[in-house]
Amino acid sequence: MEAVLFYLFGALLLGGAIAAMTSRSAVAAAVWLIFAFVNAAGIYALLAAPVLAILQILIYAGAIMVLFLFVVMMLQGPTLKSELKSIGDRKWWLPVGAILVALLNWMRGVNLEGFVNDAPAGFGEIKGVAELLLNKYMITFEMISLVLLVAIIGAVALASNKKGMPW
Amino acid sequence: MVIGLNHYLILAAALFLTGAAGVLARRNTLIMLMGVEVMLCSVNIVFAAHSRALGDMSGHVFVIMNFAIAAAEAAIGLAILVAIYRIKRSVNADELNSLKE
Repeated sequence: MEAVLFYLFGALLLGGAIAAMTSRSAVAAAVWLIFAFVNAAGIYALLAAPVLAILQILIYAGAIMVLFLFVVMMLQGPTLKSELKSIGDRKWWLPVGAILVALLNWMRGVNLEGFVNDAPAGFGEIKGVAELLLNKYMITFEMISLVLLVAIIGAVALASNKKGMPW
Repeated sequence: MVIGLNHYLILAAALFLTGAAGVLARRNTLIMLMGVEVMLCSVNIVFAAHSRALGDMSGHVFVIMNFAIAAAEAAIGLAILVAIYRIKRSVNADELNSLKE
C-alpha cells in the first residue's frame, strides 16, 4: 500500500514538475507546479509528517503559487519568441545535466537502510513540532521572522516605486 | 516492496535535477524562479525523509524554516521582476544584459 502511494505521488510530483519546466506559457507552468506541490503534500503524509503536508498545501500551493500567478498574469505578454531557439543554442547545460545524471546514477548504488522501525508515537504531530520550534530552535524561529520582515520591506520597496528601482 | 530512505532520496534528486534544468535551460525569468521553488521543495523532501529515518523531528522544524525562506525568496524575486519589467518591458533573461555592454 505504501509502495503504491509512494509511486503514485512520486510520479505525479515529478511529472507535474517536468511539465511545469517544459511548458510554453508561464501560466500553464504555474498551474502545473500547483499540481506538483499538492502531490508533494502526499509525499509528506507518507513520511508521517501531517503538519508538513498541511503547511505544504497552505504555503506552497496556496500562498506562493498564487503570488506567482498574480505576477505572471500581470507581466506575461505573448510567449517569449526567442525561448525555444535559445534552448537549442545553449549546449553548455548538456554537460551539466550529464554530470547531475551521473551523480543520480551513483546515488542508486548507495545503499541506505530503509525505515526499519515504525515512527515513534506522536511523530510528526503538531505538538512535538511546536515544542521543538519554541524551545530548542527558538532563536532560529525568531530569526526567520526577521527574514520575513526584511522580505516584506524589500518587496514593498522594490515593487511600489513607479519610476523603477528605488535608487 | 519496502519503501525506504533510498526511494525518497532518489525522488528528491530527480526533482532537484528537474528544477536545476529548468533554471539553466529556460529564458523566461518567471519559469526560472519556479525552478528555484522546485529545488527548494526537493530539499524539503530530503529533510522530511531523514527526519523519518532517524526518528528525530528536528527535520520538520527546518522544513518549516525552508517554507518561510521560499516565501521570502518568491516575494523578493517577483518584486525584482516587476521592477525590471517596468524598466525593460520584458522578462526574457537574454534581454537583461545592460551590465554587459
